Amino acid sequence: MPAIRHASKRKPPPEGFSDIEDDLLIFANKMKDAQNKPSPAGPKHQAQWEVFQIAHQRSRYVYDLYYKKEAISKPLYDWLLKNGYADAMLIAKWKKQGYEKLCCLRCIQTKETNFNSTCICRIPRAQMKEGQDIQCFSCGCRGCASSD
Amino acid sequence: MLKSTYQRADAAAPEALPPGWTEHKAPTGHTYYYNASTKESTYKRPSAQPEAPSIVPTYGPNLSDPSVANAYVAQFNPPPAQQSHRGGFGAGRGGRGGYEGRPKPAPIDKPVKKEPIPGHEPWILVYTKYSRRFVYNPVKKTSFWRIPEKLMPGILELDKERIRRKSGNETDPKSAEPETAEAEEATVQRKEETPTAAPEAYDSSEYEEVEVTDDEDEEGHASKRQRTDDAAPEEEEEPVEFTEADIAAQLQAMGTDYGLEPGDYDDGNMADWPEGAEGVEFSEEDAKLLFKDLLDDFRINPFSPWEKLIEEGRIIEDQRYTALPTTRARKECWDEWSREKIAAQKEQRAKQEKKDPRIAYMALLQEKATPKLYWPEFKRKYKKEPPMKDLNLSDKDREKAYRDLVNRLKTSQATRKTELTTMLKSLPLHVLNNRSLADGLPTQLLVDPRYAALEPSIRDGLIEAYVQGLPPPPDNVEDAKAASDEREKREKRTKALEERNRVIDEEKRQRERDIARGKARLRDGERDIEMAMAVDKTGLRRQLEDAA
Ligand SMILES: [Zn+2]
Ligand SMILES: [Zn+2]
Repeated sequence: MPAIRHASKRKPPPEGFSDIEDDLLIFANKMKDAQNKPSPAGPKHQAQWEVFQIAHQRSRYVYDLYYKKEAISKPLYDWLLKNGYADAMLIAKWKKQGYEKLCCLRCIQTKETNFNSTCICRIPRAQMKEGQDIQCFSCGCRGCASSD
Repeated sequence: MLKSTYQRADAAAPEALPPGWTEHKAPTGHTYYYNASTKESTYKRPSAQPEAPSIVPTYGPNLSDPSVANAYVAQFNPPPAQQSHRGGFGAGRGGRGGYEGRPKPAPIDKPVKKEPIPGHEPWILVYTKYSRRFVYNPVKKTSFWRIPEKLMPGILELDKERIRRKSGNETDPKSAEPETAEAEEATVQRKEETPTAAPEAYDSSEYEEVEVTDDEDEEGHASKRQRTDDAAPEEEEEPVEFTEADIAAQLQAMGTDYGLEPGDYDDGNMADWPEGAEGVEFSEEDAKLLFKDLLDDFRINPFSPWEKLIEEGRIIEDQRYTALPTTRARKECWDEWSREKIAAQKEQRAKQEKKDPRIAYMALLQEKATPKLYWPEFKRKYKKEPPMKDLNLSDKDREKAYRDLVNRLKTSQATRKTELTTMLKSLPLHVLNNRSLADGLPTQLLVDPRYAALEPSIRDGLIEAYVQGLPPPPDNVEDAKAASDEREKREKRTKALEERNRVIDEEKRQRERDIARGKARLRDGERDIEMAMAVDKTGLRRQLEDAA
């Protein structure tokens, strides 16, 4: 008896996948490299920043292809979400006003931070002092307010 | 760039925060401060005491308003009319060195004269070389370009006094020349409520007016009393423990306080120039088309993410990359281009598929047809395959094609090869040519049974060799015209881009020269002042007139 495999794994991806296959592979390789990289010398939490960044970029890529460029079909988009090529939760946030550029879900969770407020990267640049440079703790975001 | 903020002094010891401010800890461990009412946030602890009330007072221009900022910056520019006046000045004396070793304040403008404001000691009214004036308080070390209300009466007195004196002995019209812009400037500074008036708005008729109506009637001058006269140095007598070096430093400090780079004194508006406003015919549309040409030429995959494009960096080297001024504009153009490109590709594919259902069917036959199966057997066996169900093909045609193919499959491979070659040769050049491999083989070939009859392993090599020996497609008259039109347009906008870049370079060089000249002029001016300080009244006066 053959090994039981998930249906979606067995079925070939929907049409149009070949158009984006190469770029998805590049993302996958980048992600692998980032994970296998020895941790940088800096603080420990920074080790995951690059992974967050690539995940963000890839989600954005899929999001743009479907919503902004109408380049991929609904079945393909759904398939990509199902297979983890994009973060459906994050994309759901991007559709909301004020969250169009949100970097990651952690940055809007108030519980995890120690002063019960969203991350500093959510503060619009216009409200920062000139030249003030920030980088957030959770994902290394340098600012993701919609108005930036 | 002009910054509207200035540096806050850091409070040495923690003290109570000013009202509205609260302290927070960022996840990084940094402490920052947030003002809920102004929505301001800062890493620097806001100070409770009124901050540096001297430098940015209530009169301080609100530079967040662009028009106010422009007018403000304009103050720092030498008025254009004067610039031409003095065009030869720097060049004429450029050779005079001797001051190189001394660090100099960069501003091209400098104070030339000062006088105490009666009734408001220790306030001083300072006149600059470029006919602007500001007030200075040597005790508090405070200065304002904009004259505070409370000093107005005193300054009016000074102006009246000067006019009175002038009408008594002044006759040389030449000496009035440098007043022109100054008069305008003074007007601007008086009218607190209209800070947007720029020196460019200066009208030469004002200058004429001053000259012509300059007579003894003091009251008649009431309307012009705000005009000043920096060429009348009579007020020089008071000993002020405040040298021109102090003022120069002050002037520079004022610039720094407002975030002005030294170069901004010379041309503060430079950053405000819209891209491409230099007069070359080069529209935004052209810029976008150039950028799209670039993407086309590099055969960029429209599906790829923008970041990949930038990381690869290939397009960045091309000068068309800078046709659009900002990364944001480029990304927007890229978005637009890729959307268009993908849509066009989709359409193309849809058309191709719709056009000929036979292609898919022949591909199926190529794969499955065999002399071992009769048509009814084949039909039953593959009835679930989409080409077998395609309503755009009749069953009769399907059967005919199948029989034809099976008959061919029964012949020798050599025969089939010859037949295919014959077929290839029968295709006209506009259908089959040396671009056919890149653009896709013509439908005519794909649906031919002679094409399907030969195994791909042999067939494809044969076709490739044949096609490579063919000439390019002949130019279709209409297509050729459209193509050459497009080429022409392309060349035109590429040229425009080159021309623009050339002009920008030239302007940059010109500005650098101007700045250098301005610095030389400043040195000369200082020297003049120093000399003037050393001589008696008449000597000083002549000196200043010369300089003007
Ligand atoms: Zn984040
Ligand atoms: Zn963020």
